[in-house]
Amino acid sequence: MNTIIFSALWGVLMMYVGFIVKKQKSATAFAVLGLIVLLIVSWLEYAGVSIFTIDMQGMLRYNRLSLVFNLVMIFSTLVYFLLSGSDIEKFGKSSSDYYALLFFILTGISIISGFQSLLMLFIGIEIISIPLYILAGSEKSNLKSNEAALKYFLMGAFSTGIMLMGIAFLYGDAGTFYVEGINLGLGKITPMLAVGMVLLMAAMSFKVSAAPFHFWTPDVYDGTPTVFTSFMATIVKAAGFFAFFRLFENAFGNLHSDWEILIAVIATLTLLIGNITAVFQQSIKRMLSYSSIAQAGFMLMGVFALNTFAKHGLILYFAAYSFATLGIFAVLAKFKDHSIEAFNGFAKRYPLVGFSMLICILSLAGIPLTGGFFAKYYMLLAVIKYGKMFWLVIVGILCAAISVYYYFKLVQAIYFKEAAQREDVVFTRSFELMMLANAILIIILGIHPDWLMSLLYM
Amino acid sequence: MSIVEILFWFLTALALFGALMVVFSKNPVHSVLWLISVFFSISGHYILLNAQFLAIVNMIVYAGAIMVLFLFVIMLMNMNTESEPQKSKWLRIAASLSGGSLMLVLVAALKDTSGRVTGVFKLDGNIGLIKNLGQVLFTDYVLPFEISSVLFLSAMVGAVLLGKKETNSIIS
Repeated sequence: MNTIIFSALWGVLMMYVGFIVKKQKSATAFAVLGLIVLLIVSWLEYAGVSIFTIDMQGMLRYNRLSLVFNLVMIFSTLVYFLLSGSDIEKFGKSSSDYYALLFFILTGISIISGFQSLLMLFIGIEIISIPLYILAGSEKSNLKSNEAALKYFLMGAFSTGIMLMGIAFLYGDAGTFYVEGINLGLGKITPMLAVGMVLLMAAMSFKVSAAPFHFWTPDVYDGTPTVFTSFMATIVKAAGFFAFFRLFENAFGNLHSDWEILIAVIATLTLLIGNITAVFQQSIKRMLSYSSIAQAGFMLMGVFALNTFAKHGLILYFAAYSFATLGIFAVLAKFKDHSIEAFNGFAKRYPLVGFSMLICILSLAGIPLTGGFFAKYYMLLAVIKYGKMFWLVIVGILCAAISVYYYFKLVQAIYFKEAAQREDVVFTRSFELMMLANAILIIILGIHPDWLMSLLYM
Repeated sequence: MSIVEILFWFLTALALFGALMVVFSKNPVHSVLWLISVFFSISGHYILLNAQFLAIVNMIVYAGAIMVLFLFVIMLMNMNTESEPQKSKWLRIAASLSGGSLMLVLVAALKDTSGRVTGVFKLDGNIGLIKNLGQVLFTDYVLPFEISSVLFLSAMVGAVLLGKKETNSIIS
């Protein structure tokens, strides 16, 4: 609850800051300060101190997992602000309003990390989605950005409609919005419950861009200004997955054997489509959007398995995937040209940033000693421990192998290609150091993933 | 058949007919007018379910405000059959196939549930009055009620941001 209230309040404050400050740099500084405050209050909540006592009617309940998830999300947002803050400042006077929207998204994230009622799930998902439609269309003079916003809005509105219909069916069956009420049912599937569950599954798959519902992803990610694509593809996606996991664990946990095959098929399709299509992309931004679909396939394995390994793995996956993708997008946002050739000979000109990007790419590909390796390892382990549908593991490993191909195309461009006549990008010293710190963070996650996971048991 | 049942079937038939006409009308203005009739018949259903306040709000907000907005947009865009984009034959076939199979699955799944859903609705004539609604809203549902203010705030901020003229943007 601390996190919800403080992030909403800070969002309002950010709008006033837009009036007061002259330089956009101070808006970023204020936003970073806000995140530090958020980190402190959510840490307090984690330690058992709540600043406000509010009767939540059982609609929100935070366990260890959701509090750690909140911490990871806020920390990732901090990394995002520090890396990409200078690009948000380019929006001029309205940049503090964009910061406000980002804070509102954090409010939504901290709602869905603790929802116990489908009503809260719906409100949380909407608070996340609506600011995103605006962020997608923030580059008003660019037609592609307008297209992305409109496409995202229309498709998102339809998926929300489907979700509401699913919730209505579940309410009709169980007579309650509370997830325990739905889960405590008879433990046996009734037609209305099945319809509601499948509709919710479709809506959630849309929000996390899983395979048969992924068609919006490449266009929207490509059209959205790169700064905001970065946020959309990492933190928001992780939040969607957490909601997906929590919903299926708490509301449909008793029916696990009824829906596991559906999730397994969605995960397989997501892995195959994401990875195979990513191979053929020429633009890095499009490649990363397909790679984010592919990574979603791995995260779906956690929803499939629903065991302790899945919980560990998902938290680790959120952190490792977010840091790595944020790093690559932060560099990409400085470029106008998003083709792979633009990065030819990149490491020769900028050795430090080149090296940090290498670490990010290796983490996405799941190479040992980076966070991505253990994230993928835990996902596969979760499926193995679950003991059913072993073929999902094989598909996962094959797809991880495919992904190495297209990630290494980028590495090849950065390190082994001759530099051509390309635009000059200026990186400030602080940006270089931040990138390096991000890379070190990824390596620490790869060597000591237990440091993050032990938070779940402290 | 009691009067309630007669009303129910009448309103249902009206709603379904109106909804079909929304889809099949060639003229978009006619579609909007049929949509208004759908909203009215659904409001009738709400009254049958003892939700008087909801019925009135549905009429005022949807049939009133939102549909007028729809009409304005359609009239300003000057849409007619000539300017309608032609969709390919395959797209139409695929759309009707997938929509039809969704309907088939829903009907097949739900045909056995008739009569099971009773516990939710209480037969109390006062349940839908503003007094009761307000009491529930500010006691049981106060948390979602308050939190949805963040949702509306972000929507407002977004609308202003999108509508604002860009003055000193560096981004081309």
